Amino acid sequence: MNTNQQKYSVRRVYETTPGKDGTVSLRLNDRVIELGGREHGMYAKIAEWLPTSRDAAQLEAALGIDAPAVDRLFKTLEDAGLLYNRAQIPASVTGVEFHRDYFSKALPSWLTQSFDHPFWERMTSGKGSKRLFSGWMIELYHYTLNANRHMSLSCAHTRVKPLKAMRAKHYAEEWNHYHYFSKSLRALGFSNAEINNSVPLPMTLALSNFMRQAAREDILAYSICSAVLEGTTVDRGTYNPYYEKCVELYEIPRTAIQPIYDHLDLDIKYGHSDLFLEMLQKVEHIDAARAGRILEYGHQLVEHIWLWTDNIEKYYDNEKNIVPRRQFDPSLD
Amino acid sequence: MSSTLPVLKRTATIKINDGKQVVIEHLAQEIVLEGAGAALFAKIAPLLDGKTSIGMIAERAGELPGRVDALTAELSKAGIVSLLPADDKNDNFTMTGVEFHALHRKYCSFWLQPVYDHPLWEKMINGSASRAQVIGFAFEKYHYIEGAHEHMGVAAANATPEMMPHLARHFIEEYTHGDIYRKGLKSLFPDDLVLNSQPLPSTRALINFLTETAARSSFAYYAGNEVLQMTENTNDDSAAKSIDDFYAAMRKHYPYSNKLIDSFIQHTNADQNLGHSDVFMEMCQSVPPLTRREVVDAMNVSRSMAEHLMLFMDGIEICYAANENVPRLPCDLLSE
Repeated sequence: MNTNQQKYSVRRVYETTPGKDGTVSLRLNDRVIELGGREHGMYAKIAEWLPTSRDAAQLEAALGIDAPAVDRLFKTLEDAGLLYNRAQIPASVTGVEFHRDYFSKALPSWLTQSFDHPFWERMTSGKGSKRLFSGWMIELYHYTLNANRHMSLSCAHTRVKPLKAMRAKHYAEEWNHYHYFSKSLRALGFSNAEINNSVPLPMTLALSNFMRQAAREDILAYSICSAVLEGTTVDRGTYNPYYEKCVELYEIPRTAIQPIYDHLDLDIKYGHSDLFLEMLQKVEHIDAARAGRILEYGHQLVEHIWLWTDNIEKYYDNEKNIVPRRQFDPSLD
Repeated sequence: MSSTLPVLKRTATIKINDGKQVVIEHLAQEIVLEGAGAALFAKIAPLLDGKTSIGMIAERAGELPGRVDALTAELSKAGIVSLLPADDKNDNFTMTGVEFHALHRKYCSFWLQPVYDHPLWEKMINGSASRAQVIGFAFEKYHYIEGAHEHMGVAAANATPEMMPHLARHFIEEYTHGDIYRKGLKSLFPDDLVLNSQPLPSTRALINFLTETAARSSFAYYAGNEVLQMTENTNDDSAAKSIDDFYAAMRKHYPYSNKLIDSFIQHTNADQNLGHSDVFMEMCQSVPPLTRREVVDAMNVSRSMAEHLMLFMDGIEICYAANENVPRLPCDLLSE
């Protein structure tokens, strides 16, 4: 492996936007970097080459520059923040440092990524439908019901006493919140039998299965996922316009969204979005490998939310698909 | 005359053409009724609700009970109508493992069709898939095969006595297969990056779903796993030719994928040499008769597996199109 390959990694780019005259804007979590077309081409070649087994000569040939110029280019990209030197990764952090310097800084970009699926723009611009709104609500009901599959498991797998109490309290406060969503579904016209016998989409199930995986592996990995999910519900300014627009555009009865507001207000009252920090205040030391793994869980949860939205739109947009989804029955199917 | 309550399958679609012809589509089959049969069906179809007896259907439709009985019996044989017991207490439903195998094959072939029709295959065949999608496909295949370690291990650890020898054998035969794909990927990437690469959430979803099922029901787990096997192993010559054509097109458009494709083929050959396409039948032959609940569970898991395979394909197509970085490297404290 070449020295540059050993030394450097690529920082996550959250958004790439082509600009005028071939320029390209790359949005990182803390800055936007504008590159000229040629520079962006070189950056893309470096990002592709870095994790491969190709040697330095192949990169030089691809970039059309010699070795010293390649080294200078790496340094420039590092200074711009697009590459980072792995030697600068701290060996360990405290729980509070992890929250302040890494999680809190990444969270806004993660939440933007979670909700940049075209579904949201479609729904608020009037190109959605009551069927899509109802489908999303059905899946939200299952996702909340399925909290019982992972929150309780996280309690079972927590070994550190102060953290055990926090996880248990969170579960005790959340376990029956699916009632809010069944109330909404009834207001949308679904019967209790339809709600109780409905089957979630695979990606809805995948969300809770991923949380179960995290719960078994590391309580902080589980808790970062939980914190990302709680982070989606703290700001009324973000979610109210969506619901209000859907009421206006798709003749959604107000009685279907009131339980959602009640649920979100309750979450805020409980202060669940502060739980991750409260837990991390009890953690003295997180080594770099564990910290990376925890961040990995957080970011993968973000990707799960995006694909969940995609799955919802694809299924409920197809008029041939049954709503709500039902179990296979050998007599009826 | 039968005392059952006939019900038209809710997944059947009916087209009635002027009362002279009825076309019924269900799964991959199409049944056409004409003349008197079509006219009778058009009359009784709304009454095939699982709540109305044959005598009552005949009375309401103004038909002879014998004619209604004969038509519903024929439609039942074709799988379009089910004959429910008049009293729930008389539901003595059982199914042998071999009968289940046939049911599973029939439905799963249908459920898998969207996976076979996924647009990503065509993109890889015509060369319009990106480098990230092609290499990403190989990485996700690697993760999915490597995931056998998890779900097959959990399955063997939680196996019923009848299923244990099959699940233990399958684990032992499969646990190194991820390394076949790893070898292909090592032709392009350092080994430690391959080992530390992260699957897409959609691939993780597939592995996790099998693992969760493996922990609670040996039979349902293997019915789900068989859906994967159906896509990997084929004794069908035309399907085998399609796979060969796919690999040839990939080699042509993406020369760097040569060693990846060698690894795909090596894995397929390894599975075929192990006779994995026959294992599910052997399991079905060895289980006691299945209850309705067991059949429903195993079929739901199988349907869900086909849906997870769609997610697997969607994930590769969408996520690698949006992000050219491949492999997906794990986060660290400076990556975000």
